This record gives sequence, structure tokens and C-alpha cells, in this order.
Amino acid sequence: MTAIEAQNLGKWYHRQGIGVPTLLGTLAQWGRRHDTERFWALRGVDFKIERGQTVGVVGPNGSGKSSLLGLVAGTITPSEGTVRATGRISSLLELGAGFHPDLSGRENVFLNAAILGIPRADVRRRFDAIVDFAGLREFIDMPVKHYSSGMYVRLAFAVAVEMDPDILLIDEVLAVGDMAFQMKCLDRIRDFQKRGKTILFVSHALDMVEEFCDEVFLIHDGRLIQRGKPGEVIFSYLRAYMVRLGLLNVEEHGTREVEIRQVRLLDAAGQEAATFFTGQPLIVEVRYHANRPVEKPVFGFNLKTGNGFYVFGSNTQIAKYPIASIAGDGIMRLTIDPLTLMAGRFFLSLSIHSWDHAVQYHRQEDLHPFIVKDASEHKGLFQLNTAWELKPAS
Amino acid sequence: MNPFRAIAPYRDLVANLVGRDLKSRYKGSALGFLWTVLNPLFMAFIYIFFLRLLGGRGMPITMEDIIIGVFAWQFTVQSVNAGLNAFTGNANLVKKVYFPREILPVSIVASALINFLLTVLVQWVLIAFLLWRKGAMLSGWTAALPAVVLYHTLFNLELVLLVSAANVYFRDTSHLVGLFLSAWFFMSPVMYPLSIVDTLSKSWPWLHDLYQLNPLTLIITAYRALQIPGATFPWSTAALVGWLWPLVAGVVIWRVFRRAQRYFSDLL
Repeated sequence: MTAIEAQNLGKWYHRQGIGVPTLLGTLAQWGRRHDTERFWALRGVDFKIERGQTVGVVGPNGSGKSSLLGLVAGTITPSEGTVRATGRISSLLELGAGFHPDLSGRENVFLNAAILGIPRADVRRRFDAIVDFAGLREFIDMPVKHYSSGMYVRLAFAVAVEMDPDILLIDEVLAVGDMAFQMKCLDRIRDFQKRGKTILFVSHALDMVEEFCDEVFLIHDGRLIQRGKPGEVIFSYLRAYMVRLGLLNVEEHGTREVEIRQVRLLDAAGQEAATFFTGQPLIVEVRYHANRPVEKPVFGFNLKTGNGFYVFGSNTQIAKYPIASIAGDGIMRLTIDPLTLMAGRFFLSLSIHSWDHAVQYHRQEDLHPFIVKDASEHKGLFQLNTAWELKPAS
Repeated sequence: MNPFRAIAPYRDLVANLVGRDLKSRYKGSALGFLWTVLNPLFMAFIYIFFLRLLGGRGMPITMEDIIIGVFAWQFTVQSVNAGLNAFTGNANLVKKVYFPREILPVSIVASALINFLLTVLVQWVLIAFLLWRKGAMLSGWTAALPAVVLYHTLFNLELVLLVSAANVYFRDTSHLVGLFLSAWFFMSPVMYPLSIVDTLSKSWPWLHDLYQLNPLTLIITAYRALQIPGATFPWSTAALVGWLWPLVAGVVIWRVFRRAQRYFSDLL
């Protein structure tokens, strides 16, 4: 059964905002030609989502992801085409949108639930579960204006998930709250999936998208340009967009006295690859060109996760691999063997700078994405060499 | 779409929004309520004072008339003023969560209605006291008051639907509405009796009919006719049309509102 269906769905806005529309302003422009340019936030989108599917939506900022969710939720009216959702929708588009600062947490639970369309009797029955889930038992009678932002979000999320919707729309809200609460939220989402609920999930947390979704949509410039298995879509997104437009500080700078001409990531067989395996080697081959002879240059690199967490960094100076001088073309090979990163998406930065760090010749920040896959079932960021040993007392 | 069926599942939301509004208005103090009564009452005293000052004792209007007029007028003004910001003041809510948009105007009018009913209780006590001093009593017709209150409420809802949507499309609606309300106040028999218009319409006969097309004229006059013994309602063809046209306009306003609300989230 289809849960969400969109046909030739499109939404445009006026590119030239008339600021705040006024009657006098409109009358003043009466009869004049309206040549405000249309800006299509979303156009020509066709899809069907079966019930019980979890679909991730990825794409750069401003690509139309949130418009899509708004259209499905019904807060935005399509400019053309149709979108139809079957079943009760709960959207986590903006947590706490209906909170009133002067009311207590308890009153806000009822108010917010009412805005989401949950019958009062249901809320009363689930009130304890909501408060426990949010972990706010002691603060529930305090006005929410005194809540921390984390408490605020926890309460709102608790209300939204307790609504027991058929379709859950999530827009990047899971990034809030502390680690423990995020885990609870993710558990709740898994629970939704088990019960055959449909989830539409917008996020920049690609590892989360890959972990949870059955299918991923890639949206760019208002078009649904790719849909398919999470791994494939996310990969093409990373290569094509993230690096150029994404979350990380993707940039290049430097005096270019020494230039990085080409970078290749090679696997154990010496083949260029984008996916590497935990425990196998990763070789970075940097072709450089020194426009003038340079004394004591330093080659450096670092690795970050997809959300910008700095994993590891080193350079030839730290690694005690002094280079007397370079001139003209050359290749620098960096071998990481074994690769002890666990499954995930990583970004490689490279730099060539002077020995005293005074001059940056060429730095490529987060410019090279790659994927690590892991055959084992271990969890985490790093592969640690571990051994278990059981010593019964008797 | 049946307007009532769409709202029915959201009864709790209306109840909550009304509760939220009343709570923040009264801020948990009895004084809060006192102010909502004192304000129109004070206005009534000012009007009667200056009318007596200007027109002398011969002014054919009583304190009871003015109290009834001002309280009824307050109901409409309060609804309209709150209604202006129904959507512009809740932009976040409208943009982020789907619910039938008429919920907000409905809850604003509901909240104003509760306020009005509370003030009506005070009004009864006052009027009963004023009448008792003259050796009279509240008219038995007072029992029919709910019918007029219902009509008045629906009329206010129409106004709120209109101004709340208009203010999303044109943010200077509030200025326009402010001007209109000041004029409307004098075009309705809030602080003067209908008989003044009768005097005027001797020179301009059409004025009388035109005046009775104003629903607030009819509503306020009906409130007086029902509560004050001896006061009558001046039935005429114009009055009948005046009663009926808001019902037709209501259907039109409802349709317009349904169309307009589709683009609220784009404009907020």
C-alpha cells in the first residue's frame, strides 16, 4: 500500500521578495507589470513510498528537502502537481513549535499534543510515558521559558513520538539533545520501523541515513535527481555535492609555490578506489609541482568524519621524515596500513607548508571523501586490537 | 468541505488555545478579570458623563443602554484586534505544523466569547441594580439573549476570518482596520440610542434604512430590547436584510478564507 505519493510535485516562490506585503504598496503598483522572477524550490518530483518504508532525503542546503517535507506534511500548498499522504502524519519539522513560554511543561505537553491532533484522553494516558521519555519529571511544572534548550527539545520530541503516527516526518532534529537522548530517539525510530510505520527522514548525518533508510532520495536544485539504495546514493552525493557545497570546510588555499596537482586514493592492489576496508591499506598518492625550489617543505594530512570530527592528523615533521628540498614535479606517497578506521565516511585534508608553518603553500581542506567499510560487526570509530581472556576464580 | 467536520477532531486544540489565551490574559490573578470588566465599565462612565455634560439631562439614553452597548462593542473589537494577529503572530506554528487554519480564528473568537460572557454576568448585576433603583426589573426576554450572543459570535468570527487572512496578505491591514473601527464605533449605537438616527433621518430618509443594514446596530439594539423592559426592537425590511446579509457573507468569507489559507505559509 502506498503511504506517500507525489505526482509532478512543484513549488515556486517569488525570487524577489516584496518584503512585507502591504495593501498600500500593492495599490501603488497597481497596473504595473509584475515581473518578479519565479524561483522553483521544488519541481517535477514524482515518487511513491510504500507503507513501512524508511526513506532518507539528502542534498545540499537549499536544495528543496525541507520544502518537500512541508508539502508532505501539508503546511505548504503545492504550486503544481499533487502530493497525497495516507494516514496520520506527525512531523518533527520543528520541535516545540507550539510551545508557550509562560506555560509549564505539563500544560505545554497538552497544548503541543493538541496542535499535533492527539486526543486529550490519549495524552493523559501517556503522560507519564512522555515525561519519563523526556526525563523531566522534576521540571514538569516549571514554565518552559526556564528550560534549557536541550530540555525543551526533549519534551517536544517526547510528545511528537508519543503521537503514534502512521507517517513520521523528521527534519534534522535528531542532531539536538545529548548523546543519551539521541540514543533513546534512535531506539524509538527503530521501534517505529518494526511496527511498519513509514518514515521520511531529512538529514545531513549521512551515516544515520545509511543506517536507517531503505531508500534514499538525492535532491538538488529542487529536482529529485537520484533515488536508490542508501550506499549508492549517499556515495554519489558525497562525491558530487558534499565536497563542493557541504558541511565541511571544503576549501583550497595557499601561495601555490608548491601545488598539489593530483591526488589519488589507492587500495592494496594499487587501484584507485573510493571505498576502503578496515584492516586493509589505504595509500594516498599526491602529485605535486614546485614552481620554485623549496627548502624543508612539510607534507601533512588529516582525517575527519562526515560531521567534522577530527580523527587523526600528522605530517612529515611529526613523523620525523625530513625533506631537504623539492623542485619541479614529484609524487609523495602516504601509506596508511592497516587502516584502523571503522565503517563510515571520512574526509581527507592535505597540505604542503613550510617547516615553520609560516607559509601555507597549498592546502586542500576536507577535499577528498572516502568510505570505509568493515566486514566485522564491531561498532565505533576505530578498530582497536582486542583480546578477551576468561579466568574463572575456581 | 464541511467547516464543522474539519474542526471537530481539533476540539482539544481549540480548548487548549483558548485556555492558553485566558491564562496569559489573567496571569493567574483575579485582578486580570477585574481589568477586563473595569475597562469597558470605565468607558461607559466616561461616555455617560460627557453625554450628560454636552446634552444635559435630556439626552435620551440611560446608563443601562450605554453599559450594554459598550460591552457588546468590546466583544467585537476584542475579537477583531486579536484576530489581526491570528496568523501573523503564530507564524512559526502555521509554517511548521499542519492543522486546519480556521482553528486559530475560532479559538480567538471563543476566547473573546468567554470573556464576553463573564462580563455579561457583571453587566446583569449592574443593570439589575440600576433598574431596581427605578423600580423595574430585567426583562423576561433576557432568556432569549443566547440567540443574539450566538449570532454576534458568528458575526465576529466572520470578521476575524476576514481580517486575519487579509493581514497575512497585506500587513497594513491593521491600520486600515483601526481606522474602520473608529468610524464604525460612531456608526453604531454604542453610546447613543437609535432614536437619534430617527431624528436625523427626517431630513435623509434613506439614512434610516442604511443604518439598519449595520449588523452591530441590530445586535446592540437587540441586546437592549431583550434586557431593558419597555425597550423595543424596530423591525423593518432594512433590519431584516441587515440580519440576513451577514449569513450570506459568511459563506463567501468562508470560501475566500479556505482559498487564501493555502498560501499562508508562503507569506508568513
